Amino acid sequence: MAERVTITLTLNGERRIFEVLPGRRLLDLLRDDAGLIGTKEGCGAGECGACTVLLDGAPVTSCLVLAASADGHEVVTVEGLQSAGHLHPFQEALVKHGGVQCGFCTPGIAVTGAAIVARGEADPSEQARLLSGNLCRCTGYTKVMEALQDAFPEGSHAKS
Amino acid sequence: MDPSPRTADHGPLGGRHERPDARAKVAGSARYVEDLALPGMLHAALAVSPVPSARLLGLELAAARAVDGVEAVLTAADIPGKNQVGVVFPDQPLVVEERVRMVGDRLALVAARTPEAAWQAARLVQPLLEALPGVHDPVAALNSGAPPVHEGGNLIRTFKVVRGDIARESTHADVVVEAEYKIGGQEHAYLEPQACLAIPEGRQRITIIASCQCPFYIQQAVARVLGIPLAAVRVEQAPTGGGFGGKEDYPSEPAACAAVLAFATGRPVRLVLPRELDMQASTKRHAVVVRHRWGAGRDGRLRFAEVDTVMDAGAYIGLSTVVAERANVSSIGPYHVPAVRVATHVAYTNNLFGGAFRGFGHPQVTWAAEATMDKLARRLGIDPLEVRRRNVLDDRRRRFCTGQLLHRPVLARECLDRAAALAGWDEFHTQPRTTAGPDRDGMGIGLALYGCNLHHGGQRLDRSSAVVILQADGSVVVRVGLTEMGQGNLAAAQTIAAQALGVDPAVVQVWQPDTTTVGDSGPTVASRGAHMSGLAILDAVKRLRTKLDPVAAELLGCGAGEVELADGFAFVRGKPERKVSVARVAAEMAARRIEAIATGWHRTRARRFDAETGTGAPYEFYAIACHIARVKVDEELGLIRVEEVSAAHDVGQVIHRDALEGQIQGGIVQGIGWATTEELKLDRGRLTNASFTDYIIPTAADAPKVTIAVVESEGATGPFGAKGVGEPSLIPAPAAVRNAVCDALGVEIDRLPLSPPTVVAALGARHPFAWLLSEKQVDEHERLATVDRKR
Repeated sequence: MAERVTITLTLNGERRIFEVLPGRRLLDLLRDDAGLIGTKEGCGAGECGACTVLLDGAPVTSCLVLAASADGHEVVTVEGLQSAGHLHPFQEALVKHGGVQCGFCTPGIAVTGAAIVARGEADPSEQARLLSGNLCRCTGYTKVMEALQDAFPEGSHAKS
Repeated sequence: MDPSPRTADHGPLGGRHERPDARAKVAGSARYVEDLALPGMLHAALAVSPVPSARLLGLELAAARAVDGVEAVLTAADIPGKNQVGVVFPDQPLVVEERVRMVGDRLALVAARTPEAAWQAARLVQPLLEALPGVHDPVAALNSGAPPVHEGGNLIRTFKVVRGDIARESTHADVVVEAEYKIGGQEHAYLEPQACLAIPEGRQRITIIASCQCPFYIQQAVARVLGIPLAAVRVEQAPTGGGFGGKEDYPSEPAACAAVLAFATGRPVRLVLPRELDMQASTKRHAVVVRHRWGAGRDGRLRFAEVDTVMDAGAYIGLSTVVAERANVSSIGPYHVPAVRVATHVAYTNNLFGGAFRGFGHPQVTWAAEATMDKLARRLGIDPLEVRRRNVLDDRRRRFCTGQLLHRPVLARECLDRAAALAGWDEFHTQPRTTAGPDRDGMGIGLALYGCNLHHGGQRLDRSSAVVILQADGSVVVRVGLTEMGQGNLAAAQTIAAQALGVDPAVVQVWQPDTTTVGDSGPTVASRGAHMSGLAILDAVKRLRTKLDPVAAELLGCGAGEVELADGFAFVRGKPERKVSVARVAAEMAARRIEAIATGWHRTRARRFDAETGTGAPYEFYAIACHIARVKVDEELGLIRVEEVSAAHDVGQVIHRDALEGQIQGGIVQGIGWATTEELKLDRGRLTNASFTDYIIPTAADAPKVTIAVVESEGATGPFGAKGVGEPSLIPAPAAVRNAVCDALGVEIDRLPLSPPTVVAALGARHPFAWLLSEKQVDEHERLATVDRKR
């Protein structure tokens, strides 16, 4: 029987300690151990992006990240995009523009989109490339991309 | 008082207000099935057949039972009721008893304390299988001597349309197009896999919470499999992460599995299918072979059309006959054709399980029909847009394929013209095409006439139930039987109820469908969700107002017949200054203990259809959709980029504008995926690319620019005159893409998807590197992309 390892990470801004088996996926730690069910499993193979979270600010597919490797790092899930009870501007924009249909891809899209905004990437085709790891079957992406353009602060619009 | 007034001037109808489910979904707080857990809950897994055709001689279960955490390993013998889940015909056991007919056929059910233990145990179930010959080509399956998948042979049924005199019309045909179209199937690829949670109450009652489109189908299947009455089965639809038809009938299977395990263990049981098993075993869009022989005069006007279609149903009938019914009558498109002979054959094979998928047979026959129209146009030297204009049904010639008279207005020409204007059709065709470099530009049309709601054969299912409860504070509870799967049914129901009651949509709460709260409303399919929810809600509001209006009238000092509702107020007709808030009226009703709950019901009028000749009224009403695609094709690599799709849709009345646009944008992209990159690669019934790695669906980087013309009109019978758009939003796009690619390259491609090997093979000697690619190498590419016909 494998021994558990103790890991410490900053999860949505809060310092948390967990004991996990070495093979435990970060996705399962978040959903089952931390009770953060916003992050979804769509394929378990790192292809669909539904499990996307930010690891030190970079979007990763948490179904392919070992929980143990998050030790000492910062993780932000869709729940952590909010601050002081307010949604992230991209989340608000998704609602306003009608960019949410079945909603299953939405948390992953919200997380990746938040990273795109934080990075300041306003070029639509580069945004599309960065979002191409988040599969959506419902929206056809148009309203998602419109929401992403709208999520940028005033004055910093697309170079095109 | 008109229960469904056209109120385009005010009220939420046609607006862009916030969809009621969006905020929770974007915050990650909507709970799908896998987000629900109960103390003591077990996890289910399925042991399935790795081979497509075999006799099951026995099962070794000891190793599975020995896995730590396993609480139950069950077989067909443990099913308390009937071992049967066929949705229309009883040809399909829930768990195999003696005959395996497809890869993924269930052999045993496992429940364990963790999902890992459950799936590990499932893998340790050892079946004793005696391989039997299988059949993997639907056309070959219909030959005598083909191994029978079921007793009685492999032809399930043939549907026909026979109208007019083909022989006589042939003499008027100056050009005849003959073609054979090989059209692949499609995987739904909903982001949320199949999932359900079964919660038993002893062995008497059960609750199923399911990711699904049709809670009443699940109710029927679970009652049958458990051997308990319908009223003892409560099915609640969970927020559902996409359906597209893949969660129409299929969810009854995992639900029945979880239910059997729940009854056996006495514990809640949750089942979530791993993506690979979901892709292999759940239903798919049918692969079909369509043969055409169409004739037209020199002026491009069609004289006759002969269509022969073979559909690959897979191992069980499922909904295949219903899909065939739709494909059958849709085979000649929205065109006026004096003589028609259509035959649509449904064949058993040991391939993937064909079932419902957005369009339901219509996309396949439309792809073929639109290809033939373009071939005719090219043969005759007539513009493809013009040849369609000359042939489409209109207000003067409005007899559909089956002889049914379409309601006016018939908007085919209008939709063609609006889409062509958006696409810049004339400008594109007058500009010279670039010849430098490998990129070729093309533009192509897809046009469809879609019969909304259920086929005549499904009339017995065509009713809908609603409940409206006015709360004491003026907020409103609405329950319907049709489901939200992302398409916007919740928003539609909320908007229609708000419009009818004259209140802000934000005060209307539509709760999840639950089979114990409304009557059986049939399936959420056939683009009927908003239509049927809406009409049932309007009926409920009409009945509620027989109690509400008199109270309002008393408060206003007028007659009950003078009460109008709008902007949150009840007011006297013609005297808007005399008003009282709806909330005030609700409070008064509560204080006086007046019934503030009403049920609503809608059922469609019976219509006549002769299944033998395919004549009569198969559908209640129709909607036109036209897509024009502009593509850029890399002639060397066979890679297609869809740059823009211009869409014109005949919708009757817009209910929610964002939801409408979202459906069109999403349908187009899903259609483009099917047309270009989505290929189901089979090896004797086993799906070899059962993952998102190798089954390629469009990403954000693939999305084209989409421009939309919404064509509204009066007279349709839906709520406030609305039609349906869930499927028309997909159907013409694949045809438009194919026609654009053929326009770009100057070759005909009669096989879908237009994958790079297929495009390269179609170019043949014209390929820039044909001198490098020998015929043998091109054939090899093609073989890899083809259902292996030799086996």
